[in-house]
Amino acid sequence: MNELEDKLAAYLRAKLAAPELEVVNLARIPGGASRETYRFRARYAERGKPVDRPLILRRDPPASLIETERSAEYRAYDAFHKLGLPVPEPIALELGNEALERPFFIMAEVENCTTGGILSPDPFGQHRERVGRQFYSVLGKIAAADPKDIGLDDFEGATTVRDAAGHEVARWEKVIDEDELEPQPIVRAALRWLKKNPPPPAQKICVVHGDYRTGNFLVDDNGEIRAILDWEMSHLGDPLEDLAWAIDPLWAGADPARPGGMIPRVQAIDIWEKASGLKADPKALHWWEIFASLKGAAIWISAAREYEEGRNIDPVNAFSGWYCLSVHNRVLAERLAAEIGA
Amino acid sequence: MKPEVGTILGLSVQKLALGIGQEGAAFAQGTVGLLSMVLTLAAKEYERGADIRVAENRDIRALFAELAPTVEDATLRVALTEAAASRDSSLRISDLNSANYTLRRLLTRLLIAAEERGALPAQKRIWAVLKALAERRLVQLGP
Repeated sequence: MNELEDKLAAYLRAKLAAPELEVVNLARIPGGASRETYRFRARYAERGKPVDRPLILRRDPPASLIETERSAEYRAYDAFHKLGLPVPEPIALELGNEALERPFFIMAEVENCTTGGILSPDPFGQHRERVGRQFYSVLGKIAAADPKDIGLDDFEGATTVRDAAGHEVARWEKVIDEDELEPQPIVRAALRWLKKNPPPPAQKICVVHGDYRTGNFLVDDNGEIRAILDWEMSHLGDPLEDLAWAIDPLWAGADPARPGGMIPRVQAIDIWEKASGLKADPKALHWWEIFASLKGAAIWISAAREYEEGRNIDPVNAFSGWYCLSVHNRVLAERLAAEIGA
Repeated sequence: MKPEVGTILGLSVQKLALGIGQEGAAFAQGTVGLLSMVLTLAAKEYERGADIRVAENRDIRALFAELAPTVEDATLRVALTEAAASRDSSLRISDLNSANYTLRRLLTRLLIAAEERGALPAQKRIWAVLKALAERRLVQLGP
């Protein structure tokens, strides 16, 4: 850890023009499975005054849960932080291997907060209503933002309202084709259903967070959402993609009527509609909910392969390949069977 | 179920041997907690793995025996009939998996054929088996 501390300090001295800067208390922390995440403090002087700044380092691992585009993640943090949403301030991005052996980025740490566990039956306790109202309101604001206005209109993803659904199905079908280790009849049936029953065109193309859910935001002791994290799968697409992912039964699904362990589904959709200025057409949302479980299945299939082949032996990959995939297989089976009255 | 139990046991030991304690207390605590959960699930899979696969293979073969006569595609009909008459060669997970993968691939072909013909009763029967399969394979976190 000392070597990484030294290299990080050397990098930040140059980056922040602070020749006396010290990195202290560097420690790896759990979470953010697709990248190594470290917490540390940078101590230096700024205009003669001492600064003691809590920061987060996110470094590429040798292999990750799902291959993601780090500069897109950094730019999403930057854009939505500037928009005034609860998103940590990004500090620096390095795409080369020179400084810390692998690409990385640094952002401000939001201290004294927790994430809600996806396996918890009641992740937010007495604050569930307050957290829920903020959660869907922030998501609505993300959907409302014009990608061009926030400088993200060159993001990867859909280019027209008509190709948003097809683009995402193709993206995840490719992942399944490449990483499937055993035949997946339910997942394959889901792919066929999604292609045969396309949703209405998107109401607009927006920045889709890509992993907006319980477990990917920080809440303080008062139930205030302080930071939306893990923007690594952000892309351009249909705003309903994020809403459907947020209410997927995998996340704190002990009470299906309160997706994510927060507020009732009807209330969640109402708040999202008001904040986004968009409509969550039930038929379209239904399609995106089936897609969400398919996308989840693809991610877990990919994680299982990473683990099985020894490229990333983080036990979260084994857990995902077993538990998460089994949940999404069941959700898909129930929903697809219901389509034909079975 | 991928990864296999043997892979999980081996890589869990490797993860511990790599010295997760060097990464700091918070990360080590999180990793050990997750390792513990994964190893508990592996123990459950050891207990129920053969039973799940035997039941699943039995149900799929019974479905094939029932639906094969209704299939128009002669090649698929013969494959289904042969698969319906097949038996698991042993109770080893690897042997059960091998048979299961063959059966699952055929199950997908059968469902596609039923979808293309618009054969709703056949689709409903197949989905009943798929729902049971998903339910049986659901990983339970509790005791």
